[in-house]
Amino acid sequence: MSEKLTVMVAMSGGVDSSLAAALLAEQGHRVIGVTMKTFCYSENTGPSKTCCGLDGILDAKRVADKLGIPHHVFDMEEAFTRDVIDDFVSEYAAGRTPNPCVRCNSNTKIPDLLRRGRLFGADAIATGHYARIVQGANGESLIARGLDSGKDQSYFLWGVPTEVLPYIRFPVGELTKREVRDRARALGLSTADKPESQEICFVPTGSYTDFLAKRLGDSHEALQPGNLVTATGDVVGEHTGYAHYTVGQRRGLGGGFRKPLYVLGVRPTTNEVVVGSEEELHRTDVTIGGLNWHTTPPAVGERVAVQLRYRAPAVDATVSAISDDAISVVLDEAHRAVTPGQSGVVYRGATVLGGGRIRG
Amino acid sequence: MLPYLDGRFGNPSSIHRWGREARAAMEEARERVAAALGAKRQEIVFTSGGTEADNLAVLGRVRKAMEETGRAGVAVSAIEHKAVHAAAQQAQREGAELIVLGVDTRGVLDLGALDEALRARPSLVSVMWGNNEIGTLQPVSEIAQRCAAAGVDFHTDAVQAIGRDRVRVDEVGCALLTLSGHKIGAPKGSGALFIRSGVQLAPLVYGGGQERGVRPGTESVAHAAALATALELAVREQEAESQRLRALRDQLQAVIVSSVPDAIVNGDAAAARLPHVLNVSFPGIDQEALLVSLDMEGIAASSGSACQSGSVEVSHVLFAIGRPGAEEASVRFSLGRTTTAAEIDAVAGRVPAIVSRLQEFATR
Repeated sequence: MSEKLTVMVAMSGGVDSSLAAALLAEQGHRVIGVTMKTFCYSENTGPSKTCCGLDGILDAKRVADKLGIPHHVFDMEEAFTRDVIDDFVSEYAAGRTPNPCVRCNSNTKIPDLLRRGRLFGADAIATGHYARIVQGANGESLIARGLDSGKDQSYFLWGVPTEVLPYIRFPVGELTKREVRDRARALGLSTADKPESQEICFVPTGSYTDFLAKRLGDSHEALQPGNLVTATGDVVGEHTGYAHYTVGQRRGLGGGFRKPLYVLGVRPTTNEVVVGSEEELHRTDVTIGGLNWHTTPPAVGERVAVQLRYRAPAVDATVSAISDDAISVVLDEAHRAVTPGQSGVVYRGATVLGGGRIRG
Repeated sequence: MLPYLDGRFGNPSSIHRWGREARAAMEEARERVAAALGAKRQEIVFTSGGTEADNLAVLGRVRKAMEETGRAGVAVSAIEHKAVHAAAQQAQREGAELIVLGVDTRGVLDLGALDEALRARPSLVSVMWGNNEIGTLQPVSEIAQRCAAAGVDFHTDAVQAIGRDRVRVDEVGCALLTLSGHKIGAPKGSGALFIRSGVQLAPLVYGGGQERGVRPGTESVAHAAALATALELAVREQEAESQRLRALRDQLQAVIVSSVPDAIVNGDAAAARLPHVLNVSFPGIDQEALLVSLDMEGIAASSGSACQSGSVEVSHVLFAIGRPGAEEASVRFSLGRTTTAAEIDAVAGRVPAIVSRLQEFATR
């Protein structure tokens, strides 16, 4: 990036996007900072630990003022509610475990950032994700893992529309988290030592089940008690509503059971939660649907690496079937707690080929 | 102002010589503010600005009425500044009856609604002199007469009107009038409330007996002196400055209206409008996009109001005058003492191109 560009940067108010903006400004680009207001703050009064709240907006503004760049706030509440929160709720209601951050990046934040960037004549857009843009075999732009393996966020970006890739930059993707903080501190950015945001931004209390109860209503079928069953159909206890259970979760059943039991799956149609042993949690066959490819999809028999959960290591795998609709792979090693609704991301080396949602 | 920030540190409430010096300066400032408005010295209370003065008028009057009679009511126009609206809503939470008075499509108060509200005998009617967003001037003399005839106190927020319209409390019979310093060149954080003799207010804060007990707290001599000087200047130059601003505003308006055929001028475009305000709606474009584009071109315009986060909210003023808001962008251009003809030319030259680019983008 030697030429001088106009770059629109999404600033959440966290240290990563603050430094992303600072690095671009340092490189001499004309930087426009924007914060996307994603949900109504009035329901969540009091200090918030997540970076989507009003505090985040004010932090982003403070950094922009320090850098001497303009900063604007865009209200995306309607789109965010429709594309992210409603999807989050309906996925849980269907017995799956969604990744709302994937949905937000893919459907809402990044496409909207590009649309607005074009409107205001920006040459490129940027975010504070730990990921990199690399050149594919045909010269196309692809997303690759960030260099800090502990912070890599490429897993969350498989759904980004392919046409965005030539325009997006990830300025902190070459750095480690420690380097990001050190540089932010050296630049005197007020967000340098801000703690990480871990929770889902629109569930600041950290209790997604309370949030679901509020959105679905207490009488929703996903929140009604039902049977805990084994894979062979034996009823072994009662559950408190299947939306409260996620595959892999340990389920204590009181006395009588020697071995600990784990959630193996959820059956919304019969309101059952299936439990079993630790061994039964492991599987080698995975099907991923709702696909988005950033490049030519792999062929049957091709060797790939598949990541099935954020922070879980990618597993080598062989493509066993592929259609427009879904890809099936066989993993070299069994994977624990393959969870329907979570993202399944297909890599070649460190490069994201595409991904989708794990099917039940 | 500067002597009271640098060396003359006396507290006006102290008995000693330095205190006397500060007190003399404070009272001189009060005298000058009163004279500029046609008021008496003891009718001026200094505040931290327009918001505090509005709150003191609305909540102070309502709480006093509550104390005295156990009931209170307040009637405000639908296009008041948030300082009045929020104070009136607080009054409602404290048990007062709240009546919101409608306006017509120009933003002029519905006098029939006022008459009806007065029959309920509220403690206070609050209608601003001139609107900050669309510039509409209210028939304040008429409103004052009707309130007086009904025995109801009338408060008017004259923050925008000072220096732009003739504002005299010996000509308009209001009970309370709000002033802000920073709109006329005094520092931010300075302001005053005119309280006509005999009008009783409860204080909002409690402490010593400063400002006749209505606004206790050590007085800011520097702010009072600055407000007095700025006000005298604004009043002295009001006619000439209003004429100059009106000519510039009308020129900008003419260019925009002729080059953007579907542009709509909000407020009373014909006559009764503050000379420094131009509010225009452009159909078919996004509010945020327009403001950001103007900013990128170095044009500092604003929409109705921005919340603390900086995101754009639908203006309650435009809503009240019946502008749809959703499928169009509205922008307010405010002119001031330092605005030049060259700047107006520059803005007039750029706005049509920005609007047409955004309209084109929206239809793609």
